[in-house]
Amino acid sequence: MSSTASDNLIGLRFFGKISASVSHEIKNIFAVINEAAGLVEDFTLMTEKGMPIEPERLKRVANSIQGQIQRGDAIVKNMNALAHSTDEDIQKVDLVEALSLTVSLATRMADMKQTKLELGDCDPASAIVHKFSVIQLLHGAIAIALESMAPHATLLLSLSAGDAATISISIPGQGINLKPDDALLCLAQQLNISVASNEINGGLDLTLERVD
Amino acid sequence: MKILLVDDEIELVSAMAERLSLRGIDADWTDTGEKALAMAEECEYALAVLDMKMPKISGLELRRLLSGKYPTMKFIFLSGHGSEADYKAGSAEATSYLIKPIRIEDLVEKIQEATQ
Repeated sequence: MSSTASDNLIGLRFFGKISASVSHEIKNIFAVINEAAGLVEDFTLMTEKGMPIEPERLKRVANSIQGQIQRGDAIVKNMNALAHSTDEDIQKVDLVEALSLTVSLATRMADMKQTKLELGDCDPASAIVHKFSVIQLLHGAIAIALESMAPHATLLLSLSAGDAATISISIPGQGINLKPDDALLCLAQQLNISVASNEINGGLDLTLERVD
Repeated sequence: MKILLVDDEIELVSAMAERLSLRGIDADWTDTGEKALAMAEECEYALAVLDMKMPKISGLELRRLLSGKYPTMKFIFLSGHGSEADYKAGSAEATSYLIKPIRIEDLVEKIQEATQ
């Protein structure tokens, strides 16, 4: 896969977009932990004034902090996985793992549109591809779908593997026909991935040559 | 005097309301703009503290909707970003603008300044 300065800039923009989303979420996590720690401090000041603390209140705050740390850990792990997807030009990529990572990275974008992402049935499959670019392509396809979706709708992503591997993106029960834009088609062409509209469910099918 | 806190981070906004109540400030909270609009129909709020980035109705949009109906209501914006664009938008449309994570004393001070 050869790349031009323009391709690099598009890839960099995608990385920047994900980084901005992740850093925003981490700031929110810090903010929640900050308030939880502040509450503990408030409870301590109350006890110094002779007001007893209910153990349940403390337990609730501790659970909140633990939950936020787990949330932050998952976000940082995903960001780290994306960062390492640039380590090699071409590599054997576990497509289920790449799809799962992309869904995780796009969840906040879906949340902001009050929509849901659901990972459906996924057959195990691998392909020899540039991992970062595949994630970029999948994220782009998800972004196109989210633009068409009404609040509270669900975007279903699945992977079927036969002679080739096909990642399907559809919005069940909404009667929406997804159309790829030029940027998505251009990136797909560079990656030798075919993008086609699925006439049955109105979704997009991304098909790659698979390897064992 | 009652105030309304709106942020889609439920654990953040509920803890903030609890901490404000311990400081003598009566605060209701909610996690969406739609719920905030409904709550404002039922209760008279002197001030609203709004997260700038929320699903569907952003803090800026919510501010416009609330101030259209309740012209005396004051506003404080919270942002996780602290970007220049957010700062300009927030500063132009609210009494105060704070970047998360905040110090509760700073929020109390801003609430008192705005409602005096």
